[in-house]
Parts: sequence; C-alpha cells; structure tokens
Amino acid sequence: MESSSDQTVEKGHDHSNLFFVVFLALCLLTLGSFLTYFEFWNTRVPTASSRLFMMAIAVVKASLVILFFMHLHWEVAWKYVLTIPSLLMATILLLGLVPDIGYRMLDYSTERERFAAHPQEAEEIREAAPEAALMREGKLNIEENSDS
Amino acid sequence: MNASPPAETSTAEAHHHGGFQYQPGLPIPRGKVCLWLFLSTEIMFFAALIGSYIVLRFGAPVWPRQHDVHLSEPLGALNTFVLICSSVTIVFALESIRGSYPRRAKAWLLATLLLGTVFLGVKGYEYKEKFAHHLYPSQPRSLIYERPDVYYRTAVKQRLLEIDQELSSEESELLREKKELAEEDSPQALDRLGTIELALDRNAHRQQVLKDFHFKTKLIEERDGEVVERWVWADLPVSQMPAFAYNVMPPAPVHHGSDDHEEEHFAGWNVLEPWLELPMVIPGGNMWVSTYFLLTGFHAIHVLVGLIAFALVLPLRLTVARAGLVENLGLYWHFVDLVWIFLFPLLYLF
Repeated sequence: MESSSDQTVEKGHDHSNLFFVVFLALCLLTLGSFLTYFEFWNTRVPTASSRLFMMAIAVVKASLVILFFMHLHWEVAWKYVLTIPSLLMATILLLGLVPDIGYRMLDYSTERERFAAHPQEAEEIREAAPEAALMREGKLNIEENSDS
Repeated sequence: MNASPPAETSTAEAHHHGGFQYQPGLPIPRGKVCLWLFLSTEIMFFAALIGSYIVLRFGAPVWPRQHDVHLSEPLGALNTFVLICSSVTIVFALESIRGSYPRRAKAWLLATLLLGTVFLGVKGYEYKEKFAHHLYPSQPRSLIYERPDVYYRTAVKQRLLEIDQELSSEESELLREKKELAEEDSPQALDRLGTIELALDRNAHRQQVLKDFHFKTKLIEERDGEVVERWVWADLPVSQMPAFAYNVMPPAPVHHGSDDHEEEHFAGWNVLEPWLELPMVIPGGNMWVSTYFLLTGFHAIHVLVGLIAFALVLPLRLTVARAGLVENLGLYWHFVDLVWIFLFPLLYLF
C-alpha cells in the first residue's frame, strides 16, 4: 500500500529546493526571535509585544516544520483525524491547568507566605549593592556574635 | 480502524467477492498510523508540561532573570540552529532513499546523528554550568533560598559553622599525621608529608578566607592585664541578609551591556571560592530550576531516544523498501525539533 505522501512525493517531484528554502526561513526566523536578546530591542520594544512576537515566530516555525518537513502539506484529509483531536485535548488540558495552578497565588497558605519569594525582595537584593560592597570591605558595622 | 482488514488481504478478497473493495481506516501504512498516534500522545504530554510551565511562570509573583540562573541565550540559539539543521538532514536522508541513493541517505542520516549528539553535548555543558553554580532542582545539593530572611540567615550560619568544623578537624588530623610521619624516613612517608604540607597550606588559605571575607572578626580583649586577640564569628543581622545574599551571588544586571551595574566585576563569594558553597538567594529560583530541568530533561530524553534509533538504523542498507522506516524516524525527529522551537523562546528569551 502506498501512502498519500508516497503518491505525491515519489512521483518524481524533487522537493530538495523547497526544503532548502524552508531551512533558510527557519534560520532567519530563529535569528528574528534571537533579536529580542539584544539591548537595542529590549529598550525599544515593550516586553509584552516582544513575547507576542517570539510566540508568533515559534508558531510560524512550527507550521513550516509540520507542513513541509513532516509532509502534512501533501497529505490528504486523514491528517485532520489524528492531529485535530490531540490538539483539542491539549487545549482542554491547558485550560484545566489554569484554575489549579494559575490561581494558587490568590490564596496563600501560611506556610507558603513564610517561604515564598516576594517581588520586592528581588529588588531589595539588587539595591543592596552599595551595602554589599561595604560588607566586603569589612566597613559594615557588624556586631559581635554573642553565641560564637 | 480495527474493524478494517489488512490491506494485502483486502485486494485478494475484492477479487474473490467480485467487486467489493475494503479500505483500511486511514490511507497510510500501519507504521505511520502508529507513529502519528504516538505523536498525538506526545503532543498532549508536552502540551501539559509547557502549559504548566506557562501557568507557573506567569502565576509566580517573582521569576528570576535569565542571567541570574546562568542561562546563556546564544547557547540556546545555537542548539536551535543545530536542531533545525538536523531536521533538514533527516528530510534529505528520506529524499535520498526515495531517489534510490542509499549511500547518500546513510551520509545524511549520519549527519543527523552527529547534529543530535552536538545538541546533547551543548545541553550537557549547560547542565554542567548550572550544577557548578549549585542550581539543582532539590535539596540537599541545591543551595537556593527564596528570601533573604531569618531562615536564610540560619542556613548561612549553619554552613559557616560547618566549614569551621571541617577545617578544624582536617587541620588537627593533618598535624597528627604529620607528627607521626616525621619519625619515618621512607620515600612513601616523604611523599605523604609533601601532600600533607599542601593540604595544610590549603587549609590555612581557607581559614584566612573566612577572615578576609569578614565572616570572622577580630576581637581584642584584656584578660588579667594582658591584651588578648581572638576571632569570633561576625553577627549577621537579618537586615543585612540582602547585602550578604548579594555578595554570595550578585544578581545579573537588568539589561546586559548597559552601564547600570557598577558591580559587574564582582563574581560573588561562591564563584571566587567555590568550596564555600554558601546558601544563596534567588527569588523564584526553586520553581525555575524545577521547571527548567523537567522540560529540558524530558526533551533531552526524547533526543536521546531518537539518536539510539538513528544508531540502530544506520548499519542497515537504506533501500527504497526502508523509506517508511526512515520516514517514521524523521516524523519523530521533527516532533522533537517542534518541541524545542517552543522551549527556546519560553525558557531562554521570555
């Protein structure tokens, strides 16, 4: 039995050039998302837009791989039978995670409150640089430890 | 689909029954159906993992910056490039088989295997970097604390006392051994004495570090009319723990390449003296290491499975009859690439 992809791909169609173009497109798209790493991008583009841009690029890259490298572009309707149910299930799974995990921060337990990180503490450490420099030089007024 | 008869028998039966022709459930080989069904389960598996990561990431009150956890974006990009290259080489391997070029197909397959190995090698190097900075997903190896609070202070004090105890017992043990060996004059004893001297030097250096880093402070007292010096552990008030945490491992600058980090040159006590292994504060760090190692770990396992499959297929003669096998392998490998396409921005660039 020949697969639909066999029927299309093996009819003498050489897709090598197309695959090479897809490869170049994937490289360029990766470079595009990597632009967000640089300083000039960070200072000019808002974080939310930047993330949206990266995810859009990821979706385009994934589509290129699925359509051309995985040959779904040339397959007949069976592809929907296998891919759509799993994508639906995956979406439902994600939506199911939101209340379980996403809202857990709304109601802190005492235990969590005690140990979990607080946003201001990250800044506190960052801003402690001058004090830290004094500590390294031994200029900070450290009291003698009574229990030493 | 189970109700459908096998394709080979369907044609024979069609002749026998005069005109009836049975069709299998899907017009593709069974191996490919199985592979796609497997990939469907894999889609859900990784959707759950990536989805959990997204929900945890954006639900967390604080999340470490990439450089706080020693992530290298260029290495992530390099690995993305390597996987894209491997995806195209496996495609060319399949094209070569279909064009009846078995030797060329083998070369492309070997290239895919090598690129996959490079990917794992880079990933291994990245893991090594994390472990070198004590970024582990669980205790006791992990040194990550979430807040510079009283619990952190206790952990620091415990570690400093532990170091002191280790150094003191090591020193007394070495001195005792040195004294014993001093009476012998065999070559082995002389060799051992040399080793002991080196160990004692190292021990003295470490004891000095505790003083140089001001973990210990000099106390001058008068006892019975005599001035006595003694070293005591410096107190670490909770109010100074953010500064202490900064010195153990300074946070990365907000924007790399900018001038807003005057302490860029300071690497941190744990880097300058790795044996200290002081507890460090990375707000949100524990959740980050758990999700990072889980996601990249499962992905790396999938890469490894792919490489094993390539290694098993490589010795075979890659004739047209094996096109289906290589096609299925390729489908699996492209899926591995697909997962990384989403992991790269989510883990390295967000």
